[in-house]
Amino acid sequence: MTAMAGLKDLFTRNLRQSGIFVAFVAIVGLFTILTDGVLLSPGNVTNIVLQYSYILILAIGMVIVIIGGHIDLSVGSVVALTGAVSAVVVIQNNGPWWLGVLAGLGVGFLVGIWQGFWVAYVGIPSFIVTLAGMLLFRGMTLQVLGNISLSPFPAEYQRIAGGFLNGFLGGEGIDVFTLVIGAIAVLGYAVSQYRTRLGRLKYQQVVESMPIFITKIVLVGLVGMAFTYQLARSRGLPIVLIILGVLVIAYTIVTTKTVFGRHVYAIGGNLSAAQLSGVKVKRVNFWIFVNMGMLAAVAGVVYSSRSNSAQPAAGNMFELDAIAACFIGGASTTGGVGRVTGAMVGGLIMAVMSNGMQLMGIDQSVQQMVKGLVLLLAVAFDIYNKRRAGAAR
Amino acid sequence: MSENPRVPLLSLRQVSLRFGAVEALVGVDLDVHAHQVVALVGDNGAGKSTLAKVISGVLTPDSGLIEIDGEEQTIPSPSAAHALGIATVFQDLALCGNLDVTSNIFLGRELTDGALLDDGRMEQMARSILRDLTLRIPSVRTPLSELSAGQRQAVAIARTLIGSPRLVVLDEPTAALSVAQTAEVLTYIERLRDLGHGVILISHNMNDVRAVSDRIVVLRHGRNNGSFDADTASYESILAAITGATSQDNEMLKRMAALR
Repeated sequence: MTAMAGLKDLFTRNLRQSGIFVAFVAIVGLFTILTDGVLLSPGNVTNIVLQYSYILILAIGMVIVIIGGHIDLSVGSVVALTGAVSAVVVIQNNGPWWLGVLAGLGVGFLVGIWQGFWVAYVGIPSFIVTLAGMLLFRGMTLQVLGNISLSPFPAEYQRIAGGFLNGFLGGEGIDVFTLVIGAIAVLGYAVSQYRTRLGRLKYQQVVESMPIFITKIVLVGLVGMAFTYQLARSRGLPIVLIILGVLVIAYTIVTTKTVFGRHVYAIGGNLSAAQLSGVKVKRVNFWIFVNMGMLAAVAGVVYSSRSNSAQPAAGNMFELDAIAACFIGGASTTGGVGRVTGAMVGGLIMAVMSNGMQLMGIDQSVQQMVKGLVLLLAVAFDIYNKRRAGAAR
Repeated sequence: MSENPRVPLLSLRQVSLRFGAVEALVGVDLDVHAHQVVALVGDNGAGKSTLAKVISGVLTPDSGLIEIDGEEQTIPSPSAAHALGIATVFQDLALCGNLDVTSNIFLGRELTDGALLDDGRMEQMARSILRDLTLRIPSVRTPLSELSAGQRQAVAIARTLIGSPRLVVLDEPTAALSVAQTAEVLTYIERLRDLGHGVILISHNMNDVRAVSDRIVVLRHGRNNGSFDADTASYESILAAITGATSQDNEMLKRMAALR
């Protein structure tokens, strides 16, 4: 494919997939100008990572739920409940920090089993089950906390969301360790992209032309290195970013390279076909929700660590941010379509918009209106695309 | 296939099934040999699809005998049918539009390499199966939603060949297709026979049935109502068996024959 045809292809056939990245770059550019560059300053880049990590963690689980054709409205309440249980263990009973984390994860696991059971084995729509869960787990949070907030957490617990890896390899004001990790990540990305390309060529698949391929890698690499450079100039590598990175890589593999992931797509795409093909639909649906419960627990621990407290109202509306991230990131409302990386970019778009508008001092009410409209436009774009694809056939 | 050619691949004896007060199947007999296409015809509600579901393990008969290679078997589930070498293309296509051709062909029977999917090997096998059937599919990585109805039907048929089954059941494979697409599907059915499989073809369309089948079995009200050699049987006699018409109804038969 020639470079020009490749470019055209990139902007037409792949609009749905690449459009989200283009939109992300545009939004970052817009808010960088509007905030006089404050948005991309070292301190603020670090801040965005810390402030929205738990939404991104929730979005990983949520995109799998949505691909399977379900929805989960309860994750905000689960965030509150797991944080509360962890706080009771660590703050009220002076338990070690890791015991609090394990208790939180255990609660998330049980929540997942509960909701998975009702959705998969009783056959109640996930909308109803998780709506009930939203009330149920919020009520439980109030019970566990006795209607008061608990704080503060010990220093080790606070490090989960507020800690940094810094100074292992020295560096004056610019942490070398962070840069090394960033370079390894960029290199890993380039190698995996190249291997995918070779694989496609081997099976005589259409690939982008070499110049476009190299441009893409270089661009992503530059953005990645600029991002880590800003982190290195600030406080170093946030621990929560490592947690997030590991989860993103692990779940990208789960969704694209495992039987479980393939079956999730099949169930979301055509339920009866999946059943007739021998997919164990109930078991897959059950584990989708157990997984969501676990990830909500991780988000709950991170959030309680970041806010250094467990509050009865913690995690309010988180489910809506996580769901919005998935749909902005290209997931389909009817199920069967969506990607973990898409949901991450969708979440980052929300994060940059909120952060940028906060920096500009825009009123909270206007922020909500803007976010609402962006979600609406993203789904409208998805439906427009689908209709066009339908007409083309 | 080294089995004795005179022992049928599949043999049903006196199979009966009722849904409450409705007798869906009453004492049905059916034999299918390797290298043979058996057409199952009958009017709406004659029990054709019910019989297909019994053979593919979706429904379990109340009484009767199912023999595979002369040995008595029960088929309690679709996966049991698959283990016995029976593959089915259901009337409502069991395919996922959001997955690509390879994923659909291997859905529910994915090949793995350790904990991960072995996409490379699945693609190679998908290609070779499509080549065996001389199917024209743009690429095995095309999502199903981008294929035509005929191509999707072809993928559904290719799906049946995973795990090299010996008996393929096709329930109304041409119902929703254009003339050209129907011709393609009929060609695939002949390819299946050439590959040595037994084929059960369920259809409303007498032209399709006569074009590819070796034997035509007629069901009426859940009972056997005649079995014909496809090469020699007259169109009128098959129609008479389907409608249960007697010699007095000759006028109607002629009219229906004219309509075909």
